[in-house]
Amino acid sequence: MLNARKNRFYKRLFEIIPGFLTWSTLITLITLAIVKPVLAAIFVITFDLYWVIRISYLTSLLLFAHRRLERAKGVDWLKKCAFVGDHDGLGYKNIYHAVLFPAYKEGLDILTASISALENSNYPKDKIIVVLSVEARAGDQVQGNALELKERYKDKFFKFIVTSHPDSIPGESRVKGANATWGAKVLRNFLDSEKIDYEHVVLSCFDADTCVEREYFSCLAYHYLTNPNRTHSSYQPIPVYNNNIWHARSIARILELGSSFMQMIETMRLEKFVTFSSHSMSFKTLVDVDYWPVDMISDDSVIYWRCFLYFNGDYSVIPMYVTVSMDVATGVTILETIAKQYRQKRRWAWGVENFPYLMLGFMENRNIPLTKKIRRAFHILESHYTWAVWAIIITFIAPLPIIFGGGLFARTAIGYNLPSVSAALFRVSLFTIFICIFVTMKLIPPRPKDVKPQKKLKMIAQWFISPLVAALLGSAPAVDAQTRLMLGKYMHFHITEKSRKKLK
Amino acid sequence: MIGSDKIFRMAGFYFSALSFLIILPIVLSYSLGYKIDYKAFKIYKTGIIYINSQPSGASVLVNGKLYKDPTPAQIEELKPGIYKIEVKREGFYAWEGELVVEPNMATRADKIVLFPVTREMKILGKLDVMDFMISDSNYLYYFTNSGLFRSATDGSGLKKISSYSAWPNKMNGKKFSPDGDKILYFNDNIVFVAYLTAEKNAAKEKYETRVEEVLKSPDSIIDAFWYYDSGYIIAVTDKDVKVIELRGGMIRNIASLYRFSSKPGSLYYDEKSDSLYFTDIKVDPGLESKRHLYRLDLRRTFFDSLRELLLNKETGVERSKK
Repeated sequence: MLNARKNRFYKRLFEIIPGFLTWSTLITLITLAIVKPVLAAIFVITFDLYWVIRISYLTSLLLFAHRRLERAKGVDWLKKCAFVGDHDGLGYKNIYHAVLFPAYKEGLDILTASISALENSNYPKDKIIVVLSVEARAGDQVQGNALELKERYKDKFFKFIVTSHPDSIPGESRVKGANATWGAKVLRNFLDSEKIDYEHVVLSCFDADTCVEREYFSCLAYHYLTNPNRTHSSYQPIPVYNNNIWHARSIARILELGSSFMQMIETMRLEKFVTFSSHSMSFKTLVDVDYWPVDMISDDSVIYWRCFLYFNGDYSVIPMYVTVSMDVATGVTILETIAKQYRQKRRWAWGVENFPYLMLGFMENRNIPLTKKIRRAFHILESHYTWAVWAIIITFIAPLPIIFGGGLFARTAIGYNLPSVSAALFRVSLFTIFICIFVTMKLIPPRPKDVKPQKKLKMIAQWFISPLVAALLGSAPAVDAQTRLMLGKYMHFHITEKSRKKLK
Repeated sequence: MIGSDKIFRMAGFYFSALSFLIILPIVLSYSLGYKIDYKAFKIYKTGIIYINSQPSGASVLVNGKLYKDPTPAQIEELKPGIYKIEVKREGFYAWEGELVVEPNMATRADKIVLFPVTREMKILGKLDVMDFMISDSNYLYYFTNSGLFRSATDGSGLKKISSYSAWPNKMNGKKFSPDGDKILYFNDNIVFVAYLTAEKNAAKEKYETRVEEVLKSPDSIIDAFWYYDSGYIIAVTDKDVKVIELRGGMIRNIASLYRFSSKPGSLYYDEKSDSLYFTDIKVDPGLESKRHLYRLDLRRTFFDSLRELLLNKETGVERSKK
């Protein structure tokens, strides 16, 4: 065990590393562009090529993930559950689904839609427990809404629990993980009172706006049943942002679709796969690992790492090719949308806090093989590092050798070729836009009646502004998050306001 | 994971990695100006010539051989050396030149202008023209023995605007006033102003341009230019710098701003600083005479002079010291 002083030192060290790497890269490249523009140009071309090949590869994975999603659409998962029968004394008829909604100030319209989706699922409702854990600090109105929902739905499910998470519990921060932990503990009390085995309960921790598709719980039950390592796994659906996609701003749509695509791609890269947003796991596992950390923002991914450390690296994420739909974080105006998206992406990028968490865990855990530790640490560091630098390098650093290089650099062959080579590589990457358009049109729900048919064209055309959106919001939130972590200016949980207002 | 997908994914990953490793040296060597000779298994340095012409679409010949692309053309993978380049287009004079190609460098010849062989020649106005001017408002003015004429720059709309024809045989300089209403011209001893805005000629009962002699100087006039929003003229003679106030039909104020010690060598009026720069020899008793560069701040001096004029004193200015 590390003593407290050493622990603090290493924690700060690992908090500094991602931001340090990012800033070192950016400063080195800017300096290089001024002092040695030829070297900077060589780097820019190398990075451009790497990026084109990388996105080509990832786009091909997106196509395959999409093919799997399409294949899974026609599957009758409930039938499959019945067909597989009992596994280790566990059959779908004695599996309970507990759905936990840690909520803050989400309106009644948002929560009603999410709970109605549970009601519309094809899984037996007498096996579904709903836990709505609202923040006490959210006020009486929110508590009232929760009780109204309970009144409306209490007879629809096996149990509908409403609980209020008290503010200012010692050791807790105002983060979603604290609320979720509170809700899970209330659920535990209920399960204990009903004498339900924790292993028979699959817990789905959902954002308040998460709407499941009809087959979600059947699909989840099937994967849970058939997985011999079921308590050493999390179950990740594909998050889509279909709830209000037809009414959201183009910038927000592109970014959220991009997030969905990334999750689809990740399902093809299981060695890197980490839980994200709404997902499910065995309640037994959750109790074993002592719930979510109550002082970390990135609850969705940190719970995976917590399990990974607890089970000495023997923990994985099982992709499920069913979707859960959430709201696009959009605003009434473009500026409001950009601000909301920026804050949301910065919160996601704050997932970099998992790196020091994991590294400290690795230092204490001697049972995880070193190669596995190195691989996982590299993956997490590389993904956050790449996120923070790629758009800045491609958009802002690439032209610097020409700007700072002066006449002499412009006379060199590489100075002359840099713009045309970069442009040619960019043109090559344009084909990925057409694949994104194709997958978008397959993924989005049918056009609502109040939306004009021309909007479909906008759904296609929006992808051509994606390089601009990437330049604007691609890397900046990640640099922001890493810089804050590096400087020890820790972020507070900022809830992305979800609303289904129509645009002006 | 579905078996075939896993195989695909692995194949895709290794294919991507291999593609990167293969394509990168090719792209970098191309960008840096290296050429790989696969047969000889050698890498050598090359250079680039970029040629563009106005008009574009001209044929390019490199050492006498026609290059595949017309201008704008990028000729790559050239071994270092001197290349004879010809740029040709029908109906235009050819451009020829020798361009040096250096290793890993790009040589640009992108400002080549091809001049047309057949030029349209057009007689404008068909007048016996002594001299002419083009104004900022795109009018051509013809100074002729039968008067002052004006037309558009293509010669159309020719119109006699004055019968005045006593132009000096020699015009040392001529300038439009900033307001575009007047022309100043001068010969060795006289500064004239032609008022282009037609005025009613009382004697002849018709409207026409008027010409005035605004300065008749016994000294040689070196330069004259407009000053203070077309209301004044600064005239530089070999003896002094004068300011002439223009007041049509009235007694004019003429003041000497500065008297040269010797004939000024070089002279330059800078509009930005509103100053006259000139060289003059300052004679200091007991000291060696030297030609210095002086700056005359006209604005300050001009208003000082005006004030003195108004006070009816003899004018004079200090030399501005550098």
